[in-house]
Amino acid sequence: MTTSAPSRTKPATTVPTPRKPVNWRRVGAWTLVAVAVAVTIAPFLWMLRTALSSNASLASNASNLLPADFSLGAFKRVLGLQSPEEAIAEGGSGAAINFWLYLRNSVIFATVTTAGQVFFSAMAAYAFSRLRWPGRNVVFGLFLATMMVPPIFTALPNFLMIKNLGLLNTFAGLALPFLFMTPFAIFFLRQFFLSMSREVEEAAMLDGAKHVRIFFQIVLPNAAAPLATLALLTFIGQWNEYFWPLLVGQDESVRVLTVGLGVFKSQSPQGAPDWSGLMAATLIAALPVLLLFIAFGKRVVNSIGFSGIK
Amino acid sequence: MTTTTARGAVPARRATGTGTGNAAPRGRRRTRSDLRVALLFITPALIGFVAFYLVPSIRGVYLSFTEYSVLGDPTWIGTKNYTAIFADDLFWNAMAVTVQYVALNIGFQTAIALGLALLMHNVAKSTFIRGALLLPFLVANVIVALLWFWMLDYQLGIVNEVINWLGLPRIAFFGSEQWAIPTIAGVNVWRHMGYTALLIFAGLQSIPNHVYEVASLDGASPTRTFWSITMPLLRPVLVLVLVVTVIGSFQVFDTVAVTTGGGPINASRVIQMYIYQKAFGESDFGYASALSVILFVILALVAFVQMKFLKGNESDLD
Amino acid sequence: MKKTLGAVAAAAAIAISLSACGGSAPASTEAKGEINYWLWDANQLPAYKQCADDFTKANPDIKVKITQRGWDDYWTTLTNGFVAGTAPDVFTNHLSKYPEYAAKKQLLSLDEAVAKDGIKLENYTKGLPELWVGQDGKRYGLPKDWDTVGLFYNKAMTDSAGLTAEQMANLDWNPQDGGSYEKAIAHLTVDKNGKRGDEPGFDKNNVAVYGLGLAGSGSGQGQTEWSFLSATTGWTATDKNPWGTKFNYDDPKFQETIAWWAGLTEKGYMPKLETTVGASLADNFGAGKAAINSTGDWLIGQYQSYKGVKTAFAPTPKGPDGKRASMFNGLADSVWAGTKNPAASVKWVEYLASTACQDVVASKAVVFPALTSSSEKAAEAFKAKGTDVSAFTTHVKEGTTFLFPIADKAAKVDGIMKPAMDAVLSGKKPASSLTEANDQVNALFK
Repeated sequence: MTTSAPSRTKPATTVPTPRKPVNWRRVGAWTLVAVAVAVTIAPFLWMLRTALSSNASLASNASNLLPADFSLGAFKRVLGLQSPEEAIAEGGSGAAINFWLYLRNSVIFATVTTAGQVFFSAMAAYAFSRLRWPGRNVVFGLFLATMMVPPIFTALPNFLMIKNLGLLNTFAGLALPFLFMTPFAIFFLRQFFLSMSREVEEAAMLDGAKHVRIFFQIVLPNAAAPLATLALLTFIGQWNEYFWPLLVGQDESVRVLTVGLGVFKSQSPQGAPDWSGLMAATLIAALPVLLLFIAFGKRVVNSIGFSGIK
Repeated sequence: MTTTTARGAVPARRATGTGTGNAAPRGRRRTRSDLRVALLFITPALIGFVAFYLVPSIRGVYLSFTEYSVLGDPTWIGTKNYTAIFADDLFWNAMAVTVQYVALNIGFQTAIALGLALLMHNVAKSTFIRGALLLPFLVANVIVALLWFWMLDYQLGIVNEVINWLGLPRIAFFGSEQWAIPTIAGVNVWRHMGYTALLIFAGLQSIPNHVYEVASLDGASPTRTFWSITMPLLRPVLVLVLVVTVIGSFQVFDTVAVTTGGGPINASRVIQMYIYQKAFGESDFGYASALSVILFVILALVAFVQMKFLKGNESDLD
Repeated sequence: MKKTLGAVAAAAAIAISLSACGGSAPASTEAKGEINYWLWDANQLPAYKQCADDFTKANPDIKVKITQRGWDDYWTTLTNGFVAGTAPDVFTNHLSKYPEYAAKKQLLSLDEAVAKDGIKLENYTKGLPELWVGQDGKRYGLPKDWDTVGLFYNKAMTDSAGLTAEQMANLDWNPQDGGSYEKAIAHLTVDKNGKRGDEPGFDKNNVAVYGLGLAGSGSGQGQTEWSFLSATTGWTATDKNPWGTKFNYDDPKFQETIAWWAGLTEKGYMPKLETTVGASLADNFGAGKAAINSTGDWLIGQYQSYKGVKTAFAPTPKGPDGKRASMFNGLADSVWAGTKNPAASVKWVEYLASTACQDVVASKAVVFPALTSSSEKAAEAFKAKGTDVSAFTTHVKEGTTFLFPIADKAAKVDGIMKPAMDAVLSGKKPASSLTEANDQVNALFK
């Protein structure tokens, strides 16, 4: 990415090229970008519009861009602030949704698994990149191969194992399969470690420092950026995890937000789904991730292509 | 690929080895001590790998040779599950439907992502735009599926309202056999195109500028530059993206489960949906495990073929 | 006491054997503690909440926690619960599901309790109690309610079409030309230009109001979709019911019925199957998109809740055998074999099946409880609300009910029949293709 010999810069000082053709292309390009962004964001706006509507008027106002019969009822229903009778009257279900509890559970689940995954994967990535030992490539290949195992294949045996350990409906049972590593995390960090400069490490080794110390005092701090990125990506993934918590975390005390959402969707009485309530629920469930993204987005966006590129 | 300008540098980064040619005598002594330390570092990940990937996989393979309804005990039936699968119309349907889905999904997703990446690289570099494009990826699969299920609803969905307003007949996106899979493919393209675009964009960023300058000096048109320079240099990234997205695409489930459930008739009964149905709907875990084994083999083959054919390990930069 | 102990010991043994090395607490012999109760119908939740409160007043040591889960989710979560050892103590059970659970020993048998507590099975509507006795001769549920199918129609639409309530209540049908049933449906269908289905110039591609609404293909039972028609041809789904092992979807009488029904879509009187995905039959009716819906009496309240639509009820049409027919479904409450509170659970089930609770349910006029006396109270409660439910009770009175098919391997049968029926209804395959499906189904039982 560094430019080479200075002679190359000469062309820039020649006669300015006619602007017109470049402009059309740019206009076209910007239009396409605008379309892409619109297509990406519009559905979310529609989600908001529906969440602020009342179910009864949805049929008659299907194409109205503004909320049909503006009402905060949907949000109230999702947050458990409506009585069952009111809820049924508005087209929702009479059952309560324990929103705050699910939120707490999601936070616990996502945080614990993220912390474990990132840390243990970093350790393993260090071993794969900085240490030399027999069979290293073979083991790494094996780890990578697990990316290809369809999750559903391991889900049932894992479920049986968790059950036999008596850990069903506990946070331990929920977190265990995700706690230790994922092939992606190891791959991601290994690529980064490979490209890190070794000078400081080698200096430390010359001074007699052991690998463990080097890892904790040099490598980890230097890798703070990709570690943070990985943590963010992992957190998002764990927050949105659905299938496993569905199997293992049915009990209210450990149910996470995505599972709660699924239950909410299916609780509608024999009519159509409670569209406004559903959209309100999805918005609220997506909110924490969106907030995180707004706070740390630049980091995520800038580093997203990191794995395997450098 | 990040080796500095010296073209003749040892392609150290490409191979999996770490730096070569350092203090050789020290290296020999270190190899032995590295193993012990390495084991220490690797142990947690190894535990995770063995306990939650390796052992279940083996158990899954074992279960595929049994008849197991979960509420009883597994009974060994040999290869009966596998022979039944090959005679099972629904299995072949699932494969056909899944392949159709993957082709549509990856085809459109990669093309659109490539286009978006080029746009971002040449025109719109702002973080806001990149962030906006990434938005759908942040939201859970289930949520995206429900959102589009609502927007594409036959009676009340906004998309059909627009179609109706244009004077065209409404489309039963999730209810019609021809539209079900393309619709689901489309929903997932929407979800992943931003993320994939960013991956490719990063790859574009890593192509050195001087290559382009040489090309423009030689008078190459943008199209020519694209096909003869950008694409070849982008190949490792594209291969990586393709391998990962194809593998993911084969395993589509959440979207189908929440919207069509495999219908209408069997038009969207993708392989993972079929496996789930057999396992949890019909309590036939043996059969479902056999199906999973087959899926795994197919995925491994697909990845292998892709890597081999597209030569993803090499980079034209070196 | 001995009998309760026996039941308890059995339950404990099953619980222990099922949870492998998970340590399960020994099942309590006293009727106390908190028990979990599941149901799926949100409309019935208020009634059962009141039952729970009353029950706890009468039995201060027992608390009942009610969870409602929608139909889609209910069964997968329940099965999940069986495996995980976290199933509810008591739950609403369904005739199509309980055979599998009984076979897998997930249900507690209630025979001892019935004998010991002197429950009089004859107080329940005729035909119901026997349904809940498994193939092994043990009883797995106490009847909760019953339902039948009828025709719900939009009064304003029939009025403007010139169809009187008398006519609607006396329709007849046959598979060849559909009888006055088809005539009514055709006449009630209106296209966007105002032309009715039986008038020249009717545009079947531009229908505004369908004569008959569509929920789905009904899979292998067609409880509300077509079973009330096929039954009048003398056709039965299985060789015997309950516990049949040979299905009869290859019977020409059945295939004729389905062919006629699918033909309604061809003619434009019924919506296309593809439009029903994500849609609700009831909501479409409420939006004025269909004139007649054939559906079950548990939705009476729902259909009456639509503003601006007056719903009237008519019994199902008379068929070639000169009689009406309606599938008779009866729900029951069952106890999970792995419950830690068998005594309390059994007590709750008995309460649910007693007049104390069933009268409460009756008074809310949502469904018809199983006890004959409560059922009559329900009919009165409906009447007090201005709803004439004779269209539904007539089947019980006249004995024109037939049973919901009860057989093993229901999930597998459904996996074959649903796509097969969908294919026929959407016009993709002819009704004769059901013979092939039937062969596949019967192969399951060989």
